[in-house]
Amino acid sequence: MDKRNIQNIIALANELRWKIGDDFHDNLAEGIYADAAEIVEDAIIDKNRDRKERLDNKIDRIVTSRVWGFPIMFSILALVLWITIKGANYPSAFLADILLGDVRPMLKSFAASLNFPWWLSGFLIDGVYLAVAWVIAVMLPPMAIFFPLFTLLEDFGYLPRVAFNLDYLFKKSGAHGKQALTMSMGFGCNAAGVVATRIIDSPRERLIAIITNNFSLCNGRWPTQILLATIFIGAVVPASLSSIVSLGAVFGIAVLGIFFMFFVSWTLSKTLLKGEVSTFNLELPPYRPPDFWRTIYTSIIDRTLIVLWRAIVFAAPAGAVIWLISNLYIGDQSIAAWMIHYLDGFGFLIGLNGVILLAYIVAIPANEIVIPTILMLTVLVTGMHIGEGAGVMFELDSVNDTASVLKAGGWTLLTAINVMLFSLLHNPCSTTIYTIYKETKSMKWTVLASILPIIMGFVVTFVVAQLWRIFVN
Amino acid sequence: MDVLPHSNCENCQHFNADGLKKLGVDTTDFDFVVALAGNPNTGKSTVFNALTGLRQHTGNWPGKTVTRAEGAFQYNEKKYKLVDLPGTYSLLSTSDDEEVARNFILFGKPDVTVIVVDANRLERNLNLVLQILEITDKAVLCLNLMDEAKRNNIEINIRSLAKDLGIPVVPASARYKEGIPELIQTISDVASGKIICKPHRIKNIPKDIEEAVKILSLKIKKEFPNIPNSRWIAFRLLEGDNQIIEALESGVFV
Amino acid sequence: MYTYNPIYALLIFIVVSMVIFLLFRPNRGLFWKIRSIYRIDDKIVIEDILKQLYHNEAKQIGINFLVNALGYRDSTIISGIDKMIDGNLVYFEGEHLTLTEEGHDYALKIVRVHRLWERYLAEKTGFDKSEWHGIAERKEHETDDEEAKNLASSLGNPIFDPHGDPIPTSSGKIAELDSIPLSGLKVGDIGKIINIDDNPELIYKQILAENIHIGSQLKVLENNTTRVTFYSEGEEYRLAPIVAANIKVLKVNTPEEILEDNVIRLTGLKPDETAIIEGISKESRGDSRRRLLDLGFVKGAEISIDLVNPFGEPTAYFVKGTTIALRDDQARKILIKKD
Repeated sequence: MDKRNIQNIIALANELRWKIGDDFHDNLAEGIYADAAEIVEDAIIDKNRDRKERLDNKIDRIVTSRVWGFPIMFSILALVLWITIKGANYPSAFLADILLGDVRPMLKSFAASLNFPWWLSGFLIDGVYLAVAWVIAVMLPPMAIFFPLFTLLEDFGYLPRVAFNLDYLFKKSGAHGKQALTMSMGFGCNAAGVVATRIIDSPRERLIAIITNNFSLCNGRWPTQILLATIFIGAVVPASLSSIVSLGAVFGIAVLGIFFMFFVSWTLSKTLLKGEVSTFNLELPPYRPPDFWRTIYTSIIDRTLIVLWRAIVFAAPAGAVIWLISNLYIGDQSIAAWMIHYLDGFGFLIGLNGVILLAYIVAIPANEIVIPTILMLTVLVTGMHIGEGAGVMFELDSVNDTASVLKAGGWTLLTAINVMLFSLLHNPCSTTIYTIYKETKSMKWTVLASILPIIMGFVVTFVVAQLWRIFVN
Repeated sequence: MDVLPHSNCENCQHFNADGLKKLGVDTTDFDFVVALAGNPNTGKSTVFNALTGLRQHTGNWPGKTVTRAEGAFQYNEKKYKLVDLPGTYSLLSTSDDEEVARNFILFGKPDVTVIVVDANRLERNLNLVLQILEITDKAVLCLNLMDEAKRNNIEINIRSLAKDLGIPVVPASARYKEGIPELIQTISDVASGKIICKPHRIKNIPKDIEEAVKILSLKIKKEFPNIPNSRWIAFRLLEGDNQIIEALESGVFV
Repeated sequence: MYTYNPIYALLIFIVVSMVIFLLFRPNRGLFWKIRSIYRIDDKIVIEDILKQLYHNEAKQIGINFLVNALGYRDSTIISGIDKMIDGNLVYFEGEHLTLTEEGHDYALKIVRVHRLWERYLAEKTGFDKSEWHGIAERKEHETDDEEAKNLASSLGNPIFDPHGDPIPTSSGKIAELDSIPLSGLKVGDIGKIINIDDNPELIYKQILAENIHIGSQLKVLENNTTRVTFYSEGEEYRLAPIVAANIKVLKVNTPEEILEDNVIRLTGLKPDETAIIEGISKESRGDSRRRLLDLGFVKGAEISIDLVNPFGEPTAYFVKGTTIALRDDQARKILIKKD
């Protein structure tokens, strides 16, 4: 071949393009479809052309109807969340019993029989192993229930109808209707929610969905909310109302998260992301009976285990760090104590304390280990004799015991409210951050998605703390 | 017309069931490369899983497979590498998915391209099929979801379809493993050259464009006598596709 | 433990956030304004003057006109003109400035880059129509010849910008258009919109708000000193003559080009009706347009409403055997012919 000839061909193409004008693409697309129509004409006999007669359409008319559409949608979401939270309790307790109650002492005595020095067995078993075991015990069961349920709905074809029903609300905030689904997925796990944004094929709306997914209160944060609401908020009302009120408070936090999601989506679409390409279309595929067992199998493999693996990879070093900062001393205090000391001032300003801030820093791999870390650190700084020593995370079976530890750590109702707010509004866990980077392949958007919520968290807790101090105290 | 021929093929002499071995992800030393293309949500991944024995998740969502998956199977002593391309509606646009799919068919030069289509939405699926047939002349149409089509009372004249498209057409219901043996046999026939395709080329094009395409594709053919898709490259040049222009300049097509 | 006055803390916070807001709020923030003033240099002033002279070649332009039109200080403009005279881009004819041949070529190059950028913004980005002009105004000064060439070839060397204005080629060729202002059509005339002027901005935004599209065919129903009324794509529009003057049309004379009156926008389709797609408006561009074509929204396809949304939008349409939901702003850009 000859380079000059090639250049001639390209030049000729440019000239011809000028001649045939702007409509080339349209003409070609129309031409292809015209061919397709002719071929189909020859080959297909559709005895049932009227789609309205088909079952699909009948189902659609119900699930997108003005009367039934929303009740069906919310009850399905509520049902899925309820099954997840209720159903996860037993296997979680079972796993915790084995991994923390049985395996850990075994490892301990095994290490002792090998004459491990205290710091090595502390570092490996109380640090690394404990964090990993904890994450598995609290994370695996809910995800193993939530994702298959969600995937079944997805395979059946119901989820695109939800996107269709809700698109108008999301359009108002510059987002895509399918964000309703990635958001719901985020109630299970933000990392999985971020992966799920692949279904949004418009670049701008996909970025919005990725960056705002963290405003969905994930599985790792529901228990924190429920615990704190029960201890502190349930306590300010008469006992007969306490469970309703604390449940309402948790629900309120979740709704607040949805509000922030809409607000941030809107802001992003009007500012930073307004130049990204936006194309909307939403195909409503036919309903298909899901292949039950295969769906269960693949959703556990594809979603649950991948996310769990990432969490473990991040939890192991975090466990090590948690143990180390509590056991390494500078001068007469452990590193943890020093850090808590330095963080206390800022923590107080935003209605939290140094322990909480440090817990959120070291427990970045998983929200699940925030409360155990807080308890451990509180015991560490108050010098109480609960738990198993410095650097060993623990949880208490009784809510009252937990309450007394926290109160000894100086917690008030304001602290509890602000921790609930901060639990909603802080940086995504490291698994999610890593997933965001994987999905966007962009440092810029990953950093934005990580720091935006925590800045909002600081602002909100700060304002609440000041108002509280002005009006309540 | 027989809408859904049952896989009695497994017992027939042509198909050698013992000759099939699913190799999963072991994609080393293959004899043929097979690309799997198709619209989103046509059960493409199910076909992929049925051929390779792998278990990729398939959702009832347009556009689930974003990355390219690879697998392998062995049939009658020949090893086939199977590449699952992202599901796309077309190859004319510029989204990432489409570029991955298009570049593989164009530059990866697969020995066979299997196009999975939804029998219920044939017309829209043909949009992609006709584009692929402009790029490659070794293709097999896998008419998937025949079970649903039957439920919807849609009858398809397989022979007429195959004749119009100029490539073999295999009806299948990949979920129930129906039609898969026939598909494998057909893939092997096309790969080995037993079946020669005469793919359909797009006809309904305005005169001035057809003229321009003719001039360009003749010139391209002169420079690259061995390529089957000079006409398609002409389309892309008229569209002003920079990637194709660069490919021409660097001579990747030879 | 810690003692401070929360009221002061809150006040400091409010003051700081207000300062940040005033500095950085989108477009109108003080920081952006200062930066844009700081960025003005001779090149930008000269190029802006060239463009004004080019666009107003028919008029006789003096310094006052430029000061008014561009909003720069007198001294800035005068020093710019001095440099242009030195560079042989313009000369004075009495009070009036006239472009030299070199000046004309330079101006054409700026216009080319501006329109290429607008085309790029329309095809490859998600910026709103109303923002294209402003961004292109900035970019035109930062783009050199090589970049302009790459930009053009990445867009497939387009002939028109998204407003319908011709883009000059690198050799200075420019497509000719016999357009007339909409206000120049007589009652009963049929025209096709080929250009909507994006300047002045106020009028442009008004036209955008009416959802008037380039490429639409229209029929004038009324044209007098107070208003221009016309029918287009199933709807009636009323505009002030000054607004209508900013819409340029080609008069349609040949009967075969005239669309029938029952060609309307897809938003005009009602449930239980069936229609044939007539085409996609030129206003649908880039990926969005290509995706619609891919999905089967092509001329001749049969379309009907499959599902109506509880909120009224989007609507699910049944086309080529599939159900696809579109928002109203997309459906408005698809033309159909009802049976």
